[in-house]
Amino acid sequence: MSRWVSLIVIAALVSPWLRSVLPVAAVSPFVALVSAVAARSVGIITLIGLPMLILAVLVPRVFCRFVCPVGFLQEMAARLRLPGRARWRSWPRVGRWFLWLTIGGALAGYPLFVWLDPLALFTGFFSAFRLPTTIATIGAGALLPLAMLLDVLFPGAWCKRMCPLGALQEALAIAKQSLANRTRATDESLFSCPHSPVIPTSSPFALARRPLIASLVGGAGALLARHTAAKPPPLRPPGSLPEDQFTGVCIRCSGCIRVCPSRILKPDLGQHGLAGLLAPVADFDTAYCKEDCNACGQVCPSGAIQRLSLAEKKRSIMGIAKVELSRCWLAEGRDCTACIRSCPYEALSVSSDGFDSHPALDASKCIGCGACEAACPARPERAIRVFSNNLTG
Amino acid sequence: MIPLSHAVARRKLLQWFASAGLGPAIGSKLVADEVGAAKGARELQPTPVEDRPHYPAFLRDGQVIQPERPLPVFRETDVLVVGGGAAGFAAAVSAARAGVKTMLVERYGYLGGLWTGGIVLVVISTHATQNGDLTQVVRGIGGDLMDRLAKVQPGIVNYEPGKHNPTSDPEATKFMMDQMITEAGVDIAFHCWATDVIMEGNTIRGVVFDSKAGRQAILAKVVIDTTGDGDIFAAAGAEHEQRLHAIGLVHRIGNVDRVDKDKLAQAGLKQMGSIEPLPSVRWVNLRGPSTNGLDIAELTRLEIEHRKAIWERVQKIRATPGGEDVYLMQVAPQLGVRTTRLLAGTHQLTYQESREPRTFPDTVAIGGAQNGKHAGWPIPYGVLLPKKLDGLLTAGRSSCVDEKLVEDMRLIASCLTTGHAAGAAAALAVKDNCTPRDVDIAKLQALLKEQGAYLG
Repeated sequence: MSRWVSLIVIAALVSPWLRSVLPVAAVSPFVALVSAVAARSVGIITLIGLPMLILAVLVPRVFCRFVCPVGFLQEMAARLRLPGRARWRSWPRVGRWFLWLTIGGALAGYPLFVWLDPLALFTGFFSAFRLPTTIATIGAGALLPLAMLLDVLFPGAWCKRMCPLGALQEALAIAKQSLANRTRATDESLFSCPHSPVIPTSSPFALARRPLIASLVGGAGALLARHTAAKPPPLRPPGSLPEDQFTGVCIRCSGCIRVCPSRILKPDLGQHGLAGLLAPVADFDTAYCKEDCNACGQVCPSGAIQRLSLAEKKRSIMGIAKVELSRCWLAEGRDCTACIRSCPYEALSVSSDGFDSHPALDASKCIGCGACEAACPARPERAIRVFSNNLTG
Repeated sequence: MIPLSHAVARRKLLQWFASAGLGPAIGSKLVADEVGAAKGARELQPTPVEDRPHYPAFLRDGQVIQPERPLPVFRETDVLVVGGGAAGFAAAVSAARAGVKTMLVERYGYLGGLWTGGIVLVVISTHATQNGDLTQVVRGIGGDLMDRLAKVQPGIVNYEPGKHNPTSDPEATKFMMDQMITEAGVDIAFHCWATDVIMEGNTIRGVVFDSKAGRQAILAKVVIDTTGDGDIFAAAGAEHEQRLHAIGLVHRIGNVDRVDKDKLAQAGLKQMGSIEPLPSVRWVNLRGPSTNGLDIAELTRLEIEHRKAIWERVQKIRATPGGEDVYLMQVAPQLGVRTTRLLAGTHQLTYQESREPRTFPDTVAIGGAQNGKHAGWPIPYGVLLPKKLDGLLTAGRSSCVDEKLVEDMRLIASCLTTGHAAGAAAALAVKDNCTPRDVDIAKLQALLKEQGAYLG
């Protein structure tokens, strides 16, 4: 009976999110912390997560207990467990490793496991319903069900042992405790929470050794991951951080992909190097980045896509258009001006000299919105395409 | 008497036979013609000098003055269509099929305008993607014409299911337009250049045209300006704007099936031209400079410059290894004037509206997609209707659209559909004894659908 109740509760909790595009992941203090470190800046969105971070110092596992939807889902899922199934108590505490590897990576500019943040999993799952079915979207969407399945089989395995956000809260509690231990006796009330960690009483140096090693490994890993970035880099949403920072700061929550009204943002399947796996890439196959839209930057929880006003967005350069005359209809003598007319920034015009006509680009006006590429009728390959502006430099 | 006349005829016939026999080069065809002439038609026979009103212009104080004069009325009709291009053709056929007395005047000796005389053979944006399917939007009169062209050889290519933007043969198109226009019962006058309008207050009552037979008038209840350049609404003083656009000249080259493509490609000549139903022929576009299509000096300059450029291009191909057999088959009789005057209609359709696409209660046609990919765009009646002037409609490239949408509206496909709409509206105005402005939109849409038009 309670299993059915759990299922209903899960369904009731899940269904409203199917169409929502709120930047839920911004609430996560883990995301806020590592994004700010990786980006070397504190954005407005980061400030949403910080109060939660401070609260986590004061109240152990406050996020897990009062905010985290994944935690709640896990509790519900745990009740679905098959009777008679033995619990596996010795599940390793990998969450803290994820945490320190990610923090170390963030210091080197690429927070390795930030996408394991429970809120990123949560939004990633719902994004999968709004995206075309590809291996990447299924992969991104499958993480939350996998974590839940884990908790059906091994209750508490995800939340207590694997979640990096949980590990962050624990680390804060440990740090606070070890500071408190120096001055006064252990406050028993700290342990009232069933999720609260067993706090070791070793010296601060012993406490810091493992995180230090993990951070160093994470930093090295981050440098390696950044090294795999493709050249030329792919097209990113308008207002994205420079490519080497972007792939690190982006938490792969898919919020931007979901909110984009043109549906030009798609998850990167790794065509552009491992560093950008599942991060958003812009694709102008059927539509372009509309001049009156800045939605992706508004929902980005990590600041990988900066919040731009509409006026700023119209000046924010995503890339630059390039014409390949051997494929261009106008250059072939067909009276096509599709790209010229589609350009919202009037960067294209017809250049004519006798029989030789072709589109001419005013590079100072082009922001790489992709309207021309979407409009170009040339097939199989378009005659005009937008390339990352890093390439042309 | 009877035997004598027979004898005379026989003697004459023998004389002609003798003269025909003077050279072996003169064949039996000539003889047959002469026999025909012997039966009645006479060449170089005197005919009475036609009495023509004589009111020459004169100089007064250095100004050329045209004297006041009465004009002979050539015809009185219900609907008068001025200009026999794609839009005028569709308008005239539609009005005549709707059962009103329809007249069409055309400045040249054939129908089709820039389609046939300008050798712009490709009908771009006949289709659009409607609800995910490639859908033909050019139906009704234009669809009928293309269907008929598909039944003759060489008629039209790329007009099968799954394809769009067909290309037709210019002579087949002219012929088929002649057939459809006469079948519909349109009274047609070629070689008539409309030069002025007949006004009664704010309402146009007909046009004045010039011809070899002098200046005459045609009276009509509704006039449709499908001159392309808006000559009629401009003469009537209707509000309009004027734009510059590229003016080119199309030519056709023959023997392209005999070229060595690889050799030509090596020399940098990859593109011979666009395909057409004749397998050995290509038509070649020339965009040309952006200029004023109403300026005689510019039009003259471009005729000469473009013809020179075409001549040199073909000579260059002939001088290139692999292209020796290519020859210049034809330079289009008409310059490719893309856009000049645009009517200020009761609604200006914008590119933005067309791409949303915005729907209208008074949709009278659906525009297509040049690449076939995007959705069709509803065209409201207001783009054909002048703001204030009564008794007139326009259609085709002079319709009321913004700068960007000109590029879609000026295409043959849009000319066919808006022409059809204007013709049906004019016929309805005549039938209901009202101005085009007061035409019942529901009835107009019903008539268009009855005539096979696609309205979405």
